[in-house]
Amino acid sequence: MDWIIENGATIAVSAVLLVIVGLIVFKMVRDKRRGKGGCGCGCGGCAMADICHGKNAKNEK
Amino acid sequence: MSNKELRIALAGNPNSGKTTLFNALTGSNQFVGNWPGVTVEKKEGKMKGRDGIIVVDLPGVYSLSPYTLEEVVARNYLVDERPDAILNIVDGTNLERNLYLTTQLIDLGIPTVVAINMADVVRKKGDHIDFDGLSKALGCKVVEISALKEEGIDDAVEACIEATLKAAESKKHLPMHSFSGAVEHALAHIEEVTVHNLPAEQQRWYAIKLFERDTKVLDALKLSDETIAHIEEDIKACEAELDDDAESIIINDRYEYITRVVRKCVKKKNASKLSTSDKIDRIVTNRFLALPIFAVIMFLVYYISVSTVGAWVTDWTNDGLFGDGWHIAGSDEYDAALDSYGNEMLFENTELKDIILSANENGVLGAEELNIAFADKDYGAFTEAYGSYGEKLAAEGFSVAEIVDPVLEGEPSPADYGTWVPGVPALFDKLLLDENGEPVVAEWLYSLIQDGIVAGVGAVLGFIPQLLVLFIFLAFLEACGYMSRIAFMMDRIFRNFGLSGKSFIPILIGTGCGVPGIMASRTIENQNDRRMTVITTTFIPCSAKLPIIALISSALFGGAWWVAPSAYFMGIAAILISGIMLKKTKAFSGEPTPFVMELPAYHMPTLGAIMRSMWERASSFIKKAGTVILLSTIVIWLGSKLGNTGDGFGFALDMELENSILGYIGGAVSWLFAPLGFDSIKAAIATLMGLLAKEEVVGVFGVLDFEGMSALEGYSFLAFNLLCAPCFAAMGAIRREMNSAKWTAFAITYQCVFAYAVSLMIYQVGMAFSGGLNIVGLVCAILVAALIVFMLVKRPYKAKNN
Repeated sequence: MDWIIENGATIAVSAVLLVIVGLIVFKMVRDKRRGKGGCGCGCGGCAMADICHGKNAKNEK
Repeated sequence: MSNKELRIALAGNPNSGKTTLFNALTGSNQFVGNWPGVTVEKKEGKMKGRDGIIVVDLPGVYSLSPYTLEEVVARNYLVDERPDAILNIVDGTNLERNLYLTTQLIDLGIPTVVAINMADVVRKKGDHIDFDGLSKALGCKVVEISALKEEGIDDAVEACIEATLKAAESKKHLPMHSFSGAVEHALAHIEEVTVHNLPAEQQRWYAIKLFERDTKVLDALKLSDETIAHIEEDIKACEAELDDDAESIIINDRYEYITRVVRKCVKKKNASKLSTSDKIDRIVTNRFLALPIFAVIMFLVYYISVSTVGAWVTDWTNDGLFGDGWHIAGSDEYDAALDSYGNEMLFENTELKDIILSANENGVLGAEELNIAFADKDYGAFTEAYGSYGEKLAAEGFSVAEIVDPVLEGEPSPADYGTWVPGVPALFDKLLLDENGEPVVAEWLYSLIQDGIVAGVGAVLGFIPQLLVLFIFLAFLEACGYMSRIAFMMDRIFRNFGLSGKSFIPILIGTGCGVPGIMASRTIENQNDRRMTVITTTFIPCSAKLPIIALISSALFGGAWWVAPSAYFMGIAAILISGIMLKKTKAFSGEPTPFVMELPAYHMPTLGAIMRSMWERASSFIKKAGTVILLSTIVIWLGSKLGNTGDGFGFALDMELENSILGYIGGAVSWLFAPLGFDSIKAAIATLMGLLAKEEVVGVFGVLDFEGMSALEGYSFLAFNLLCAPCFAAMGAIRREMNSAKWTAFAITYQCVFAYAVSLMIYQVGMAFSGGLNIVGLVCAILVAALIVFMLVKRPYKAKNN
């Protein structure tokens, strides 16, 4: 118990950091599954977005 | 209509404003480029503010012949999926050419509405279009719009809905345009023999295509040999009568009809006078002036973005926002206090002076910078040079740490002068340190946050101002029409070497990001040219490489004017040289792809469009910094703290880089870069991490400190990282486009070998001139240069049967 009280700040900040990292990983995996991942270069704004991230991409795979 | 979705297809010539209209109709933010071929695939979107209407943006085409990829995509959609209506966007400044497609669209038998775009430009020129007359002549509704200013769009959509409902009621299609008697006679025969079982409104288009001997239609209709032979008689009779081939007969007839319509409906004020665009083009695309003008424009773009406006703001973000902080007022007082502190504590110290002088005489890297700063009594420059080269001096036996470190620790705090705003690291310090300056969290966590995440992500985000300025310039050049001229001009240069200017459009797109640039190469029909374009596209510096350029330029060249523009021109030269060399080999030989493009009229883009384009790119960069880069900095930090502690494998905050996991990995490959001048573990790690995302090169230096490189080593490092294999995402795009593991491997290998050769030449020749001659290295560099020259001048490969 003392250990938890002594390291309360470390535990809290670590937890926040873990949640952030978890959310980033979750988002990246979800984006990848939805075909949005990979380039991270604004593919939504790309003229050829449909080719790699659209229905066609799934068909190709 | 309430039960069924209404599909409206946007069709038109390249660069007529379809995507701009699509964005205005659907509220989406698809990429709009003022050069042809930006849209290759069709895109769908729901119309904003109206339920049940789907808008489909088709690639720009000049006709419905199935020759190019764009034509195939547009034609297949229109013929096979038959949308409920077509909104044909017509460039009002170029009616004759645009109406050719219009006549083909009308023949499809799909309700069509013609929207004359850029009508404001037509009026400005003093020309007059008779919209009612045009509507009667074409047999469809004609409306006036300005896609850019979003004017007249509602009317166009209303007209589309009205035309669709009308067509649904009547189910009858009456073409207003009739071909000459002989053709109509043949068409009537063909319709009767082959397509009488098709819906009435579709028969005419199929009949025309059969008359033209369109192979795709012949295959699709699966006609018997007898039927084909029968209609062939009709076609041949018509050809004999009109003394021309069937396809040319139809084309000529259409153009004659269009000429008649335009003569009747358009009154030109100054038919023979040159437009403003033509006048500009006479200079900008001039045979002799085009290249120097292009060089000056791109020089200014990179110089202003990286070395001036962008650098001023970046200095603030790096030193202020992601540094200690910044003064709102009172910075002069602080500078004065710092100068007098420096004079008193440092510049009077004769021992320090002697060590630096001695180091300088011995040619120790960085001693010259320290010496100059010492002589100038410039405290800021001295501490910066010490930060970069202090360890290098110590390693050579000229340590000044014992004198300088205590001075640095006791220097006046900027927060004590004027109004001081702390930077992000200082804000984290406030949260994570107690009143004695000790972390309230475990030391490893404090180090992870400050030395890892904040330093790494901050190093990348610090370059955003420079990127924003670059994005504004690129958006302006695209939107005003100059980028199309670059492709046109490059075609003239490329063609001299057997290359196609068509390869340059993917390269222009690649300036933003290599991935869409590589994808855009699929518009090139010739497979050899396409492969070559895929290999060379990523040589152009993408936005992720800009921070590397900016870092080397500011840290090692003091923001010299030529560094950033030279990186861009190095990319262009690499593309040109690689293109010429590859074209000489058997695998890439052959005639270049024909390149036909229409130069759009110059126009002043709206501020909103430029800002949207800039934000689209900048937000992606920021998102990437918050995801991929953040995770990478954690991995880098962890890799630099885990390793051999002396008592075996473990974690230590004060781990020497050489003993860490990163140190082992970097050390294993760093020897490879020794001939290029950057064999440090940090540089090797930065190069490897650059494969994850090119921004990470800067992120690594944020976590591991950027120090100990000479200007020549830095430039060689920059050249290698600009030209070597791109990030994994771009490599994935190469894999998809090449559709072959062998070709992908060749592309990546070629890029790395080429980058290595360029860096080797830069470093070894540079060393020879700066007094550090390495005979073996120089001989190797000369051999590489000779091989490149040989490939450039050697005769192209010719197949034996030619």
